[in-house]
Amino acid sequence: MSVLEVRNLTIRFGGLTAVDGLNLTVNEWEIVGLMGPNGAGKTTAFNCITGFYKADEGTVVYRGRDVTKLPPHRKAALGIGRTFQNVGMVKSETVLENLLTAQHIKAGYGALTALTGVGAVRQRERDLHAHADAILELLGLTEVRNRPLGSLSYGTLKLLELGCALATDPDLLLLDEPSSGMGPEEAHELGDRLLALRKELGVTMLLIEHHVPLVAAVCDYVYVLNFGKLLAEGDPDHVRSHPEVVAAYLGGEAPEALAETEVPAEQAEVAVATPAAAPTRSGGRGRRRKESA
Amino acid sequence: MSADTQLLTGYDAGAARARFGGWLARAAASLPVLWLVLLLPRHADDWTNNAIFAAIYAMVGLSMNVLVGYTGQISLGQQAFLGIGALTAANVVHTGTNAPDPFTFALGIVAAVAISAGAALLLGGIALRIRGLYLALVTLVFGAVTADAIFTIPALNGNDAGVSAYRPSALQSNYSYYLFALAMVGICLYVDVWIRRSKVGRGLIALRDNELVASAYGINVLGYKLLGFVLSGAMAGLAGGVFAFWSQEFSDKDFTAAAGFNKALIFVVMVVVGGLGNRAGVVAAAAFFALIDPLLAGLAHHTGWLNYYTDHKAYISNIIGAGLLLQTVIFNPGGLGQVLRPFTRWFAGHRFSLHDDHGDAAAAALVGAGDVRA
Repeated sequence: MSVLEVRNLTIRFGGLTAVDGLNLTVNEWEIVGLMGPNGAGKTTAFNCITGFYKADEGTVVYRGRDVTKLPPHRKAALGIGRTFQNVGMVKSETVLENLLTAQHIKAGYGALTALTGVGAVRQRERDLHAHADAILELLGLTEVRNRPLGSLSYGTLKLLELGCALATDPDLLLLDEPSSGMGPEEAHELGDRLLALRKELGVTMLLIEHHVPLVAAVCDYVYVLNFGKLLAEGDPDHVRSHPEVVAAYLGGEAPEALAETEVPAEQAEVAVATPAAAPTRSGGRGRRRKESA
Repeated sequence: MSADTQLLTGYDAGAARARFGGWLARAAASLPVLWLVLLLPRHADDWTNNAIFAAIYAMVGLSMNVLVGYTGQISLGQQAFLGIGALTAANVVHTGTNAPDPFTFALGIVAAVAISAGAALLLGGIALRIRGLYLALVTLVFGAVTADAIFTIPALNGNDAGVSAYRPSALQSNYSYYLFALAMVGICLYVDVWIRRSKVGRGLIALRDNELVASAYGINVLGYKLLGFVLSGAMAGLAGGVFAFWSQEFSDKDFTAAAGFNKALIFVVMVVVGGLGNRAGVVAAAAFFALIDPLLAGLAHHTGWLNYYTDHKAYISNIIGAGLLLQTVIFNPGGLGQVLRPFTRWFAGHRFSLHDDHGDAAAAALVGAGDVRA
């Protein structure tokens, strides 16, 4: 049985269909990538899956259970953890306090019991602290334990956010651009870390990612979205040489555009992998938009 | 000793480093505070009376701290919970001119807490999905409606003559009642400490900072917002119960819509001046705002300005309050609590240090709203 099965997921904002009939499957132990140019609907799809947006059509099935209509906190309690595109954490708290907050579901005592401060609550709090410290050690963040979030670099924040998502004890983890704000080396390290996490904790993952080397290194399967629709799917090598994917990232029409400019497949690959190619995208996208309108 | 001090100041156990000598120094340093709180009010009966009022304000301050400081919701109707608590306590005890037995008295206080918490649940339920200006308006209207529609019901306010609320014999003297009021403040402080130390406070603060992140952590945002309202209403109701037996009656004249609005503003100002989310600062600021009139009157009496003060009494304290609010918002967003923090940290067993990253960051984060999108 697959961990996550998304069938015909559709959401519209006014006249814009942000996600259009998305089908997607994540199997046990897999790391699945979700790619696509800016505005393709990746984060919107994430928000539908995790319950932050209400999908207009389609179903989200998690381990055989239809969870389409559950609110986000119920999904989190079921074991669907997530991170946010631009770092979602409790800004006014310290690193440690964030990791404690993230363990909300596992606190193991009632809200009213908590206010009495009985021994059981104290004991559970000690356990939560110990678990938070274990996560900090796992991520190599022990030295920032008592620091406020405002004093940390963006890369550290993204890593800590991953730690917070892990602290919710997820069974399926949805990561929204985990490598943003990281240099190539850090991103490489992140890839190793994700693989290690899967090995040690058995977490299944779905990640939105632009960093192609990272996707190639960790993903078992990749879906590519463009204008809300599924453009291509397959293993990373297959997808990144897919002409329509290359065209979507670079702008222009596929596969004619490729034929016109006669870009050899290898060179196109390199272009996709290099973020420097991004500025050339805007013109092409504008043209595509106009045509599709 | 160490456990108690940490309980009051709320810092993480285990981080304390002080040795025996250090704790002795801290015990010595706490003597003036104890003298101020326990012995000074004993000197003159009218000061005991004022001190009880300060204790009541401290409870209201802590109730505002839960709602505004932790949950991040505004309330301009907190005086309504105070009034509901007072009304409930007086009507439950209802012994006419006789002193109630301790059990009836306790029942009155418990009922005050329960009914106010219920009213807060109602207000919270209405206010769940609105925020900011609209929430402020709804709570404002809630306060006005309670004053005009509930406190004026003749059956509940002794046919407009007030419902007497005499104290049990053990608490007849002002000083013994003051000690009782202090114990009630202690209960509120204890609850506040455990809110802050457990998943409850972390959940409230998470939803204050960012509701999306809170729900991704599995926190039931609507449920916790309601919990914030209920805890706040319960504390304000307790303050109301203590208020009823302090003034020894419930009278709707104390809780008219106009007077109530004035109170509501003071409650908001005192929690901001005290420092949102900082219990020591909030208690100190609440006591200050409760005592500002008698303090100024005493000062004016000694300097020979008493007549001038009496003539302008209505707005002098308001001007001071407004000045303190401006000073806090512009120069010191962490409030009085931020100023006191080096000392409260020291009392909790930490090394004395004027620099404190976390407090600054928390204050800064409170001022600038979270901007994370899903």
